[in-house]
Amino acid sequence: MDYVIETFGLTKSFSDMWGREKVLAVDSLDLRIKKNEVFGLLGPNGSGKTTTIKMLLGLLNPTAGNSLILGGRSSDPKISSHVGFLPEESYLYRYLSARETLDFYGRLFALPAKVRKARIEALLDMVGLKAVANRAVGTFSKGMARRIGLAQALINDPEVLILDEPTTGLDPLGTRQIKDVILKLKERGKTILLCSHLLADVEDVCDRIAILYGGRIQSQGEVQQLLRQADKRQITTGPVTEETLEKIKQIIAADSSEFEVSSPMEKLETFFIKTVSDAQKQQRKTSGAINSAKIGDFLAAGAVPQKQDNILDKLVSKSKPKSKQEETAETQKTKDTKETTQQPEPDRELLGRLTHKDKEAEPDQVTKKTNARREKQSEPEKKEPNKDILQQLTNPGDKTKQRKDKDSESNE
Amino acid sequence: MSKIFAVATNTIRQALRLKIAVAFIILLGILLPLMGSVMVGDGTLQGRLQTFVSYGLSLTTLLLSMLTIIISIYTLTSDVAQRQIYTVITKPIRRWQLIAGKLLGVILLNAALLTLFAALIYGITIYIPGFVDAPPDEIARANVEFFTARDGIKPLQTDISDQVRQEFERRRSADEIPDEVLINPRLRQREMDSIRESLRLRERSASSGHSLTWDFRNVQPADPEQNIYIRFKYQVSDDPPEGMIHSRWQIGDIRQMQAGRPETPIYRTERSDSIRVSHEIAVPADAIADDGYLGVRFISSPQNRTVVMFPTDEGIEVLYKAGEFASNYFRAILLIFIRLVFLAVLGIMAATFLSFPVAILLCLVVFLTSIASGFIIEAIGFFATDSVERLYDFTIKPLIYMLPRFDTANPSEYLIPARLIRWSLIGEMAGIMIGVKALILLLLAILIFSYRELAKIVV
Repeated sequence: MDYVIETFGLTKSFSDMWGREKVLAVDSLDLRIKKNEVFGLLGPNGSGKTTTIKMLLGLLNPTAGNSLILGGRSSDPKISSHVGFLPEESYLYRYLSARETLDFYGRLFALPAKVRKARIEALLDMVGLKAVANRAVGTFSKGMARRIGLAQALINDPEVLILDEPTTGLDPLGTRQIKDVILKLKERGKTILLCSHLLADVEDVCDRIAILYGGRIQSQGEVQQLLRQADKRQITTGPVTEETLEKIKQIIAADSSEFEVSSPMEKLETFFIKTVSDAQKQQRKTSGAINSAKIGDFLAAGAVPQKQDNILDKLVSKSKPKSKQEETAETQKTKDTKETTQQPEPDRELLGRLTHKDKEAEPDQVTKKTNARREKQSEPEKKEPNKDILQQLTNPGDKTKQRKDKDSESNE
Repeated sequence: MSKIFAVATNTIRQALRLKIAVAFIILLGILLPLMGSVMVGDGTLQGRLQTFVSYGLSLTTLLLSMLTIIISIYTLTSDVAQRQIYTVITKPIRRWQLIAGKLLGVILLNAALLTLFAALIYGITIYIPGFVDAPPDEIARANVEFFTARDGIKPLQTDISDQVRQEFERRRSADEIPDEVLINPRLRQREMDSIRESLRLRERSASSGHSLTWDFRNVQPADPEQNIYIRFKYQVSDDPPEGMIHSRWQIGDIRQMQAGRPETPIYRTERSDSIRVSHEIAVPADAIADDGYLGVRFISSPQNRTVVMFPTDEGIEVLYKAGEFASNYFRAILLIFIRLVFLAVLGIMAATFLSFPVAILLCLVVFLTSIASGFIIEAIGFFATDSVERLYDFTIKPLIYMLPRFDTANPSEYLIPARLIRWSLIGEMAGIMIGVKALILLLLAILIFSYRELAKIVV
């Protein structure tokens, strides 16, 4: 099997002024990324993801070990002409317009003028910046700069695309678009290395992932396999009435085997956190932030332990800590099934929430599916959580993640 | 090559976005015409022209030098600091190509700006005679002493090592030399040098009533119809009344004078000239003998009551027309350009491993030292004691020799006395400053940049 990206014992340590080793950012990393694979490199902040990418691209020199892209050194123009790279922030020349920016990068690839012009227009169209193509990119918002960054990475129609946190600063539509681009490129036989801590993004597009902590791979494999929980069972049904549900319970109690049964999926999030906290328990050194999973008292006030790991559920049942205990494992599984069997769903949800259309329908659905006991909830209580969702959408990132972390932590 | 050019064009855009570049351009655009109309020099047309060209070129050179240093450093350090380098260097471009592109951009910008300002200064210079409505005799003088390019010949120096040795022996037998000097070869050499200096000084000094004679060989003016010029400068032991020296001069084939029947004319003149300033005596070119010989005799008037000395460098010289002002001016601009190219390479080199402020500091130190490099070499050599001198020989001296010698190729020093800038000088400067020194710096820059980690350590 030919690997597109390979690292052999890749190590990077940073030393202080006196040459004493201070930090081991990447520790004998062995990555093998196959052709036509979407590979996700995950890890908490400071786990060595970006350092790995910088070494792959020759921006940092490895302390030990080496790396190959397409079987060669990334500094070789023959290799780098087939590589696309989007750094963690789009570092652009502020004085160039969007079109000039792409033209400049096109020239660095020595693309013929005709090809260059055609590609620039196509890319501007794709990232939705055609209308502002003649404006200096210094005036662009972060998301717009990100889009130019993506266009820049694609101008050479790369065989290998290396994306460092591609969705930061992007709106949900832009996020969706990046994922679509990734999937489309995969269809066309390209290889993509994606580095992110936005787990939902990774889960949607990646074939294989590796979770880094303290510069070492803690876990790696195919997403589907990693998330499968073989010791549990999950029942998938269509819409069912309360009576049916009761009946199902009875039937299960009587141990019937008429139902469609499959292995339930663990959320990537839970898996990720489990892996990282395992590593923390082993007291592995990290140069990055160490999440304590605690939230400041003033923030946590009124929060209650939750069984679910879904924000929506948590929000809906927020004011009802007691009912949670009544919840059966079965109902949760039903919900999980819904999540995992319909993969593109989360994004439609996001879009819907943005456009305020499915806003009401979403929690309703969950309520209905989880249990009749939720019917007791009054209308105002339902609206409260929805506002919260919007807030979270407008402040993406840490806040949402922290909540999620907390949820899953309490879950265990 | 197209990649290098893409980087170069981007560098020029980047430089023009720097407000300082635009500020310098506007500043020069206003100052140069202003200087042309305001500066009068010593009041004559020639003085006015000399002052304007000298200050105009110096100002342009200074500002462009600063600009070159700033831009060449900024273009690389800002790319690294603001991390645009991440997306550039990961494209199929070699690191040396990036360096070459940056350098090419700075040099092209320099060439454009230098052409612009050189043309502006030239235009104003040509326009000044008409503008000030100068009298015809001043215009005529400016034409032969400023709007021209003259070559110069210095008098033949005789070998005096025998006299030096004799004098040393005389002093030794007279017990004037301390023993330690005799033992220490270094001190001995210094003693010999000082004897040589005093003998040379005696050669070019004349007390009142005495005369000095110089021989010039291979004097071959391009146009025998034109005048030749004896350019001289006095120094004195005691200031004469009113600072004037009275003298008689004989210029021509002095050898024949001794024979009694000169075949070529000998020109005689009596003058009164101020001290410490250069003067010129115009003589028809037929004073030169057929074999290219020219003799010049200076007779100090008895009323001077001081010893008159002619300084070593600019004491006396024969000048004659050897080219046109326009082409000479062009070569002067080339000298400036060579200097800017060197500074661009220096800036890029400093930027490959230093941050913006540190690199600027380093380059300014080199730049300022280079302007005075001749003085510094002399000063350190003079003050160094025996043990320090040895240390100095192996440390600072080679470093200083690596510096560009901006003071030896100052274009104003050629254009003001309308002195010809030979192509050989251009070639020599280009060869040493670009072909050797800048090339070493460039290779160093590429070497450092190739192995340098361009990403910041972020953990």
